[in-house]
Amino acid sequence: MTATSSLELLAPLSGVLIELDQVPDPVFSSRMIGDGLCIDPTSTVLCAPLAGVVSNVQASGHAISITDDQGVQVLMHIGLDTVQLQGKGFTALVREGERVTAGQALIEFDADYIALHARSLLTLVLVVSGEAFTRLAPASGLIESGAPLISIEHNGASAGPVLEEEGEALFSSPVTLPNANGLHARPAAVLAQAAKGFAASIVVHRRQDSANAKSLVAIMALQTVRGDVLQVSAVGEDAQAAIDALAALLAEGCGEAVEPTAVIDIPVVVEASSPTLLRGVCASPGSAFGRVVQVAEQQLEVPEFGSDEPQERASLERALDEATQALQRLRDNAEGSAQAQIFRAHQELLEDPSLLEQAQVLLAQGKSAAFAWRQVTEDTCALFERLGSSLLAERALDLKDVGQRVLRLILGVEERVTEMPDDAILIAEQLTPSQTAALDTRRVLGFVTVGGGATSHVAILARAFGLPALCGLPAEVLKVPAGTQVLLDADLGRLHLMPEEADVQRLLVKRQEQRQRHQREKEQASEAARTRDGHHFEVTANVASLQEVEQSLTLGGEGVGLLRSEFLYLERQSAPSVEEQAETYSAIARALGPQRNLVVRTLDVGGDKPLAYVPMDTEANPFLGMRGIRLCLQRPELLRQQLRGILACAGLTQLHIMLPMITQLSELRQARQFLEDEALVLGLKALPKLGIMIEVPAAALMADLFAPEVDFFSIGTNDLTQYTLAMDRDHPQLASQADSLHPAVLRLIATTVKAAHAHGKPVSVCGALASEALAVPVLLGLGVDELSVSVPLIPAIKAAVREVELTECQVLAQRILGLENAGQVREALLDHQHTTALQPRVLEN
Amino acid sequence: MFEKFQQAFWKALTPDLVADQASTPVATAEETLRPEIVAALGGEGNLKSHQRVALTRLRVALNDSARVDQSALRAAGVAGVMILAGGVTHLLLGLD
Repeated sequence: MTATSSLELLAPLSGVLIELDQVPDPVFSSRMIGDGLCIDPTSTVLCAPLAGVVSNVQASGHAISITDDQGVQVLMHIGLDTVQLQGKGFTALVREGERVTAGQALIEFDADYIALHARSLLTLVLVVSGEAFTRLAPASGLIESGAPLISIEHNGASAGPVLEEEGEALFSSPVTLPNANGLHARPAAVLAQAAKGFAASIVVHRRQDSANAKSLVAIMALQTVRGDVLQVSAVGEDAQAAIDALAALLAEGCGEAVEPTAVIDIPVVVEASSPTLLRGVCASPGSAFGRVVQVAEQQLEVPEFGSDEPQERASLERALDEATQALQRLRDNAEGSAQAQIFRAHQELLEDPSLLEQAQVLLAQGKSAAFAWRQVTEDTCALFERLGSSLLAERALDLKDVGQRVLRLILGVEERVTEMPDDAILIAEQLTPSQTAALDTRRVLGFVTVGGGATSHVAILARAFGLPALCGLPAEVLKVPAGTQVLLDADLGRLHLMPEEADVQRLLVKRQEQRQRHQREKEQASEAARTRDGHHFEVTANVASLQEVEQSLTLGGEGVGLLRSEFLYLERQSAPSVEEQAETYSAIARALGPQRNLVVRTLDVGGDKPLAYVPMDTEANPFLGMRGIRLCLQRPELLRQQLRGILACAGLTQLHIMLPMITQLSELRQARQFLEDEALVLGLKALPKLGIMIEVPAAALMADLFAPEVDFFSIGTNDLTQYTLAMDRDHPQLASQADSLHPAVLRLIATTVKAAHAHGKPVSVCGALASEALAVPVLLGLGVDELSVSVPLIPAIKAAVREVELTECQVLAQRILGLENAGQVREALLDHQHTTALQPRVLEN
Repeated sequence: MFEKFQQAFWKALTPDLVADQASTPVATAEETLRPEIVAALGGEGNLKSHQRVALTRLRVALNDSARVDQSALRAAGVAGVMILAGGVTHLLLGLD
């Protein structure tokens, strides 16, 4: 190479220069990542040392790399061990893929916060592409941000293209990543360094993503997190040695101290799809046989430049107005509260001032209204998606949807109506709420999507409609011709493209029977739930809105056994006022009337059920962290305000207040004190009943001490199960074992009931177990007094109560307590169900 | 960005719900400051607290950070000075 040019890197920060050798972190001082410099900063904005493209910004905002057009790559890492701050104290000002100029601000950081919470602020500037450089700045002393730092000689040789090795790739077995913060700079460097020791070309895979294992930045750009399942593949002479060594290194944590994770013997259990059978993840249970309808996103033509600014501005404002009105109509006509809530969220997105402000800027540049609007919604979607939380990523879909709605209005394009047969199975890349709202759901039998997960709208809506849904199918499902008859078996995660006649028949018969049973149960819903031997059990509803309360009454609900008060706090920017709370509780109390019970559970949020505006430190394990009553007692004004709101409806109904996540007696006593204080202020003579959720094993085991101090217990089986079995119910491998019918859980229920009855206090079950018809005999047999169930299942559970005889249930329950596992319990219950189904129905005669 | 905004909003509405940034200093033994540094920071009366943080830094809380004499600090061997909001100042002392 004759033409060598030199490149000057600017100091990204002001501060004190420190030799790399001195940095007390061997990954950096050993130059494993690359050679460079260290600055102890006195400024708080990290600026680009060279012009180029942002090749990687870590989600946690503490590290960024820039690559210039010649391939020079510079990594900047702010502080030591700052990955543990998980983004706190850092604000990225640029995004991946963005082109930046030298000196442009990249990351702003809170120096005092980092100094107090991390090991050090020492910031590394490293040339990771390996070029030699000469130092322009002195070895020590102060440097100003933007001053010349080092000079790099381009020689072209080091940045030569990687030769693609020919041949068959060998794959390692899957490795579950044990590193608490994924492969961030330090472990990524160790891995890349090890990979460079092999001649083979090596790739790290995570699902469909992959990265060159010899490139530190490529590995970091994968943005892996703990628990990701990785595979290493290699091509070349020493491929086998490479994959063995690197897979072992990954499993050990790449030089980081890690907790051991279980070795996966079986490769991840997503069965391979075949041409006639596609696999996905169940988002809503059930099965259906019907004809394919492909729902595709409408492509809109958007002119970049507009006529004149005032006109474009008016056009955007008009479209926003019309969209808000259309959403209001959709809200008013929504078939369920789930759908209404989604459209309310859409309205709020439209009211967001930042979207409008950004659009105004583009309009001022002469862009058309449609172009400006599309640009800002797409940018904000990308921002949501990049923030890395699956919850926000799914909100990006909302924004896309509402963005498309406004865009159509600006352009005057009609929404396309999809022609549908009576037995439609909808297939889409991703169904937006607007698309689903425009559908005639009476004709839809099921949903199939490529994207989405358990919290996506399709999943929420499908569950609300009681329709089966399957998510995460391979993209080839979009090529299935419209009109094809398919069998959707969401329970097993399967879509049969050429179903066997026998399978279809079996399904149709099953559906017919189910429909008849539902019909019968609904007709009898208003009758009391009395066992064959004449014992009456109250079946109440789990609700989260006034609408659901009303619905529960039409379905035979005898009160509310669990009002999830979180609904008052969701999808809003601020806490509800006491007045607003009082109004909502009173409306629900009036709907129920003075005879029925209303059990209000106080706010139950925490790290696992985040509220957008309740700031919480990230917890390593939110299920064992500040949840439920713990959070409320830490922030007492929140609880006091809620109690004030709830007490406003004291005279209107049989009011009960229930505290979630109680573990200690002191928590109960403190909350009771708050309740008494607030009642005194309001001048109430009679206190409402106060009870606790039994969902922590400690509370169940100490129920004999809690019982004298409460008015009732209610068992939350979902949490009780996961805390008792130490299994996350969403864990991909453990979910099927996290069964509430495990004898250990049932024994805790038995303990609780015994203690409560010894003090004359009633026990209800409000967890998912109560909504499972199969579990009814064992719950009644254990002495549970009331079942609080999800609204649509009230008729089925009442029917299940009517089918059994209490004395038989008691015998059965005692036998079940001695069984070994949940599987045996289910078997015993199925046997019991068969025998009772054969007996004549006393009540019908 | 969103989080910060939401946090500020929430705090404004319900002041007692959001714990103030815990200023839990990593408990290092209070070392006495050299007199020339104390003088350069505006004297004993201007100094509210000090602690060693982040390997290289002395974090001092001052009543009035306008009284910091940067050249005197430099003369006293302080490599860098970072004046932050709320009277907090970091003195960069280098790696030991």
